[in-house]
Amino acid sequence: MEYVNPLTGFRLDGRRPNEMRQIRGEIGVVAKADGSALFEMGNTKVIAAVYGPREVQNKGQQINNRALVRCEYSMANFSTGDRRRRPKGDRRSTEISLVIRQTMEACILTHLLPHSQIDIFVQVLQADGGTRSACINAATLALADAGIPMRDIVTSCSAGYLCSTPLLDLNYIEDSAGGPDVTVGMLAKMDKVTLLQMDAKLPMDIFENVMQLAIEGCKAVAHYIREVLLEHTKQLECHRGA
Amino acid sequence: MVGLSTGEKRFIHGGIAQDLRSDGRKRLHFRPFCVETGVIPQANGSARVRLGATDVIVSIKAELGKPSSFQPDKGKVAIFVDCSPTAAPEFEGRGGEELSSELSFALERCFLGGKTGAGAGIDLSSLIIVEGKVCWDLYIDGLVVSSDGNLLDALAAAIKVALSNTGIPKVNVDLGPSPDDQPEVDVSDEEFLQFDTSGVPVVVTLTKVGRHYIVDATLEEESQMSSAVSVSVNRHGHICGLTKRGGAGLDPSVILDMISVAKHVSQNLISVLDSEIAAAEANAKE
Amino acid sequence: MRDLQLPLNQTQRVRLQAALQQLQDLASQASASSLVTVADTIPVNNEDGILKGHGTSELDGQVVATLCGVVERVNKLVYVRSLRARYKPEVGDIIVGRVIEIAPKRWRLEINFSQDAVLMLSSMNLPDGIQRRRTAVDELNMRSIFEENDVVCAEVRGFQHDGSLHLQARSQKYGKLERGQLLTVPAYLVKRRKQHFHRLEQYCVDLILGCNGFIWVGEHLETGENDMLEDREKRPEISKTNMIHEEQERTFTPLEVRRHICRIANAVRLLSALGFILTVESIIDTVEASASSNIEIKDMLGPEFYVQTVEREVQRRILLSRKKG
Repeated sequence: MEYVNPLTGFRLDGRRPNEMRQIRGEIGVVAKADGSALFEMGNTKVIAAVYGPREVQNKGQQINNRALVRCEYSMANFSTGDRRRRPKGDRRSTEISLVIRQTMEACILTHLLPHSQIDIFVQVLQADGGTRSACINAATLALADAGIPMRDIVTSCSAGYLCSTPLLDLNYIEDSAGGPDVTVGMLAKMDKVTLLQMDAKLPMDIFENVMQLAIEGCKAVAHYIREVLLEHTKQLECHRGA
Repeated sequence: MVGLSTGEKRFIHGGIAQDLRSDGRKRLHFRPFCVETGVIPQANGSARVRLGATDVIVSIKAELGKPSSFQPDKGKVAIFVDCSPTAAPEFEGRGGEELSSELSFALERCFLGGKTGAGAGIDLSSLIIVEGKVCWDLYIDGLVVSSDGNLLDALAAAIKVALSNTGIPKVNVDLGPSPDDQPEVDVSDEEFLQFDTSGVPVVVTLTKVGRHYIVDATLEEESQMSSAVSVSVNRHGHICGLTKRGGAGLDPSVILDMISVAKHVSQNLISVLDSEIAAAEANAKE
Repeated sequence: MRDLQLPLNQTQRVRLQAALQQLQDLASQASASSLVTVADTIPVNNEDGILKGHGTSELDGQVVATLCGVVERVNKLVYVRSLRARYKPEVGDIIVGRVIEIAPKRWRLEINFSQDAVLMLSSMNLPDGIQRRRTAVDELNMRSIFEENDVVCAEVRGFQHDGSLHLQARSQKYGKLERGQLLTVPAYLVKRRKQHFHRLEQYCVDLILGCNGFIWVGEHLETGENDMLEDREKRPEISKTNMIHEEQERTFTPLEVRRHICRIANAVRLLSALGFILTVESIIDTVEASASSNIEIKDMLGPEFYVQTVEREVQRRILLSRKKG
């Protein structure tokens, strides 16, 4: 299958190899949560809700000098093209929950909120490739909305390698092509990578290119997220008045 | 779910008794509905309904399937509801399962008929393609994103709106030479048939608090209920389904009264929903 | 705004957009430049020995924000004032909380903070009003003072070693709140003022603006009626299971007062959904505007009054800026 047209260089959905899908972020979609956000990357749509910091519900898990961060990832039945009943707690959900938790925990300043608990819930409404990245981006927005102190903005993007071309931000068709899929999560300002996952094989030098492309994507997402947060803060402040 | 103090509980009871609830509504007033269609583009039909802080999304997917041998002339419909943990931390893990199954069964009872498929609110025979061999399987999936009471009514309204937004693809059937052959079905990507929703009912839940009943209870008011009756009524005023929740016993005359109140309220609700659907479709066309 | 999703028609949408745009224009220029998001650098003059306060941290010698908000500078202190965040307690704040748990010699209250607050039995007046040492009998009778889920008004006394709050409720004006409703708003909308208890004479309503974002709107009770001792004597009467419905109805809040309570509560809901700061004046203004325009209580949360409130706020701020300028 021709994922990259050899004549024009366009991909199946008309993008260039180093072009990301349309991203959109919206803050404040779940009224009852302390912080919430909706993040879209192309057709992938994800809602994140943050509850906390609040008193630890299960005293056995309480940590004395920092906050306890918990995360759950769930996919709606209608989220993928072929509708499927998803059992709760299946292995893929558990793994992604763990990945998101570790990524967010690294950037939250947990030592400022001892004896408390922060719950991050991520719900996938539509999955079209790059769900992991969309979840991390949505969680960042939701945490910032909840006023939880963070070291830096964490963003994530994926990249792959098909038809001898590094491709940025794979959608579902490109993802299921069987080529490698590199997901990178990074702290934008500090320029540090916190999450790196890859499946399938890649030679070292090509891997460097693909990872670099994903890092560029992360930086672009961070730029957009910062604008969304700034606009939102400006709106809140101006409504509040003196 | 936060608890309520005795003082707050009495305030709620008092409000309902005096026909002035905590947010100023009368007993039989609904909160304003906010309706959006087509929120899940890859589904055949979808809708999002917001009722106060309650937010639900319903998606409808049609897939080819084989009709059941008991009803070879009817298609199949399955309703599943999922309570997302984003709505409340209590729904984490398997915490929301009980509520999800309760809502799924209540909705099936309201929209689908008895075991033979007779008397369903959704016309199942319109889903048949080749009798006995091929039919449409409609999967109706509901997702509760945020909850502030009255989930059943919001989900039922969302199902009604999503059905009006649903397009069933046109099919070309090739029956094959012998009657025992499996027919070949070619699903068109271009043309769609709009689903006929004139007979689809709405659900009105009446929550009994003290001596009076209210519609569209918030989470706080629901915590004070002694029992609740959910009635599914269609455009012609016919009752399509009935569910009673809550342990307190009700006098039969009270139940009959509640049903007539529900019928009365539902006519208004149907007209509100119809105008919302029309407005949402107009918006979508723009 | 996130809390009220309203079906606005076309004209209302246009009016709302225009009013919101005017609000943005009125916002002072200075504040626009001091907005920061997470990981933004805060410009400081390093030679001045700046103190880094809340919401800041140091990275490579630069001061970096850890929250989204507005940078405030007070003398040598630089900090980030966050907007939508959990309550930031200060000693002496008046707060409203809900009892979650009864523990030995103390009550645990939920107050919209990262941990539950503690109200010690010794920080609470005893029902008989005598100042004496708390005995074991008092400990067993804690439920007669506050039960689980009761709404309590108290004052922040200090911080415990693990960061949670210590409360005290020794004065007559603190204590259990009944006969009303509790509303939750974001804590940043309640400014710290001299007065948080407001007795609205004309409505017979008590309004308590807790600094933690919990707002109590309730029927006004004479301080005598709220006394612990009388409450205990009245308690056997109020037991719901014994009373039949008619007797209960006699003790309900009268309809006139209830109307006022609901109007004020809806005004609070509306203002918090719009993100306007909550003061007694703005709440009363909103209530009076709704009453004078003959808007029904439930329609206060409807689209028309929503747009009208934004327009009124724009006018108010224009007047305010003219007075200053």
